Amino acid sequence: MLFCEQCGVHVRGSLQRCPLCQSPLSGQKEENAYPALPPAKKPLRLILRLAALATVVVAVTCCAINFSLPKTGWWSVFVLAGLASTWLVLGVTVRKRGSPMKAIVWQLVTISAVTFAWDLCTGFAGWSLDFVLPIFIPCAQLAAVIVALALSMRPAEYLFCLSVCILSGLIPLVLLLCGVVGVIYPSVICVGISLVALAGVLLFKGKELRDDAVRRMHL
Amino acid sequence: MSDKNYLPWWRLDNAAKIFPSTSSAHDSKVFRFFCELKEDVDPAALQAALDKTMEMFPIYRCVLRRGWFWYYLEESPLPALTRPDELPPCFPIYPSPQRSLLFRVLHYRRRISLEIYHVLSDGAGALDFLRVLVYEYLCIRHPEDELSVNRVPVLGISDWQKETDSFQKYYEKPARRLASSPPAYQIPGNRLPKNQLSILEGSIPVKELLACARARGVTITELLTAVLLCSIYEGMSVRSRKRPVVVTVPVNLRNYFPSFSSRNFFAIIHVSYDFSRSDASLEAVLAEVKREFQERLAVDKLKAHVDSLCALEHNLPIRIVPLPVKDLVLRAANRIAAQAATVSFSNVGKLTMPEGFEKYIRQFGVLTCAGCLQACSVSFGDDFVITFASPYRSRETERVFFQELSRLGLAVTLTTNMNEEDDENAVL
Repeated sequence: MLFCEQCGVHVRGSLQRCPLCQSPLSGQKEENAYPALPPAKKPLRLILRLAALATVVVAVTCCAINFSLPKTGWWSVFVLAGLASTWLVLGVTVRKRGSPMKAIVWQLVTISAVTFAWDLCTGFAGWSLDFVLPIFIPCAQLAAVIVALALSMRPAEYLFCLSVCILSGLIPLVLLLCGVVGVIYPSVICVGISLVALAGVLLFKGKELRDDAVRRMHL
Repeated sequence: MSDKNYLPWWRLDNAAKIFPSTSSAHDSKVFRFFCELKEDVDPAALQAALDKTMEMFPIYRCVLRRGWFWYYLEESPLPALTRPDELPPCFPIYPSPQRSLLFRVLHYRRRISLEIYHVLSDGAGALDFLRVLVYEYLCIRHPEDELSVNRVPVLGISDWQKETDSFQKYYEKPARRLASSPPAYQIPGNRLPKNQLSILEGSIPVKELLACARARGVTITELLTAVLLCSIYEGMSVRSRKRPVVVTVPVNLRNYFPSFSSRNFFAIIHVSYDFSRSDASLEAVLAEVKREFQERLAVDKLKAHVDSLCALEHNLPIRIVPLPVKDLVLRAANRIAAQAATVSFSNVGKLTMPEGFEKYIRQFGVLTCAGCLQACSVSFGDDFVITFASPYRSRETERVFFQELSRLGLAVTLTTNMNEEDDENAVL
């Protein structure tokens, strides 16, 4: 054991100097009680930073070219909006990477919102509501089922997110009834699939769904 | 009775309710108990011991989940695995990208460490778990000694008693509202990079410490609290002395209200000393600390304090606030509460193991992560171990504290996690 003459304390471990007063220690060294820690590696953070830098380079270059050639129209706005949309969806996915079910729900929400915004800002041809939403919702439902099966999740882990995906399939029904949908077939199919899925969940997992609601909503 | 489709879940207890909202990378609300054996730890035997221990603590097999109004604990099939001690001490358990159990069991050379997220349990509850773990481990490693003829430390305590929320059991609607405290002196200084914790353990012979405290007519906790107050005073600038120095002391309520819960059941009392108005000698501080402890530890005072905290969670308007809003409010409340404290000192007290186990165990120790300087202590056999965990680069408070103990005639043995190579890294 080591000893510090100045402080009058014994010191364990293999230190050169007293942890209190930093004067030299006398005596026999021992093994350390705490491991020396290797520096933490965060590869994801590096990749994301590189991607962010690349995004900035592209955005700045496009804006510079567009500014120099004003006659070509304001196309750089689309580039910026495209990059922003990509980062929004990517960011949600990275944040929710630990729970794939949540990632599916968040992707459904962000992608639907982003495509609707694009549609709205480019003259509202209606393609986001006619095609993207009713095709994307059943895809999310299918993805949720596949993830739940592949990771052999328990009902408590997937039921809530799956229910959100299924219930969002009723949004096209509301849109149909309001008459905002132009091409109705994708929406009709989406609503049909969602109603069947809803019936399936209620019939086979109704009790678990109720239990899950009790847990999530306890006051 | 077992229903395959029923998933056990638990509400958070009153003390746990604030932790998920306020845990962060620099204040992980994780604390660590370690047991240092006299021989190197065998990972396989430790895993076997952990598997046995888990059977006795069903509530440890759970994950934390977000509800709409409150967080809750839900049983999880995740395996409880031991692993080598490779993460920084008290590394955050929640939030983390991967859903995980709320504790980890680590081993490094002779040490078995148990790190627990405060949501799951407090010090006394965690200690029950660690004692059973060490008990099972030593029984596996030394079958020839027939150690297992001695009682398991928690034998006779039912699963229900272990998982019960004792705050609920003793709650009565209080008459008085919570009083706010004035801002306390904050130790200044730069933090260590990367949310590191600098750990300094001091081991003191119990007999000497007890004799030293008895000679002054105080308890060990009172003596160490007073020495801690004086060490902080040494580092104070003259102009900052107008603020009181406040030590927060967690009190194990199991000593006042019968409970065998292995979940949270503690209250925090504030012991403050105003150096601008009073004498800075150890004797003067001791007298005041003794008076404050006696005043604050009165059962009716404790009860009133706990009831006023529990009243918040029983208040319907508060209960129906959605969780994201609660998160924001609790974070703000936590910041205000942190302003009212300078340092924290938690004496877990005397720890015992069944007969025959002492000869394999060198010492127990405890440390906790927090935004400010934290001291924790536990005694086992003839070793009283007080551990400082600090996020600051400066160790002046600890230096004065241990030098003062040494001056009082106590034999102090220090252990630290900050080796010289680390110091050089810290400078970079």
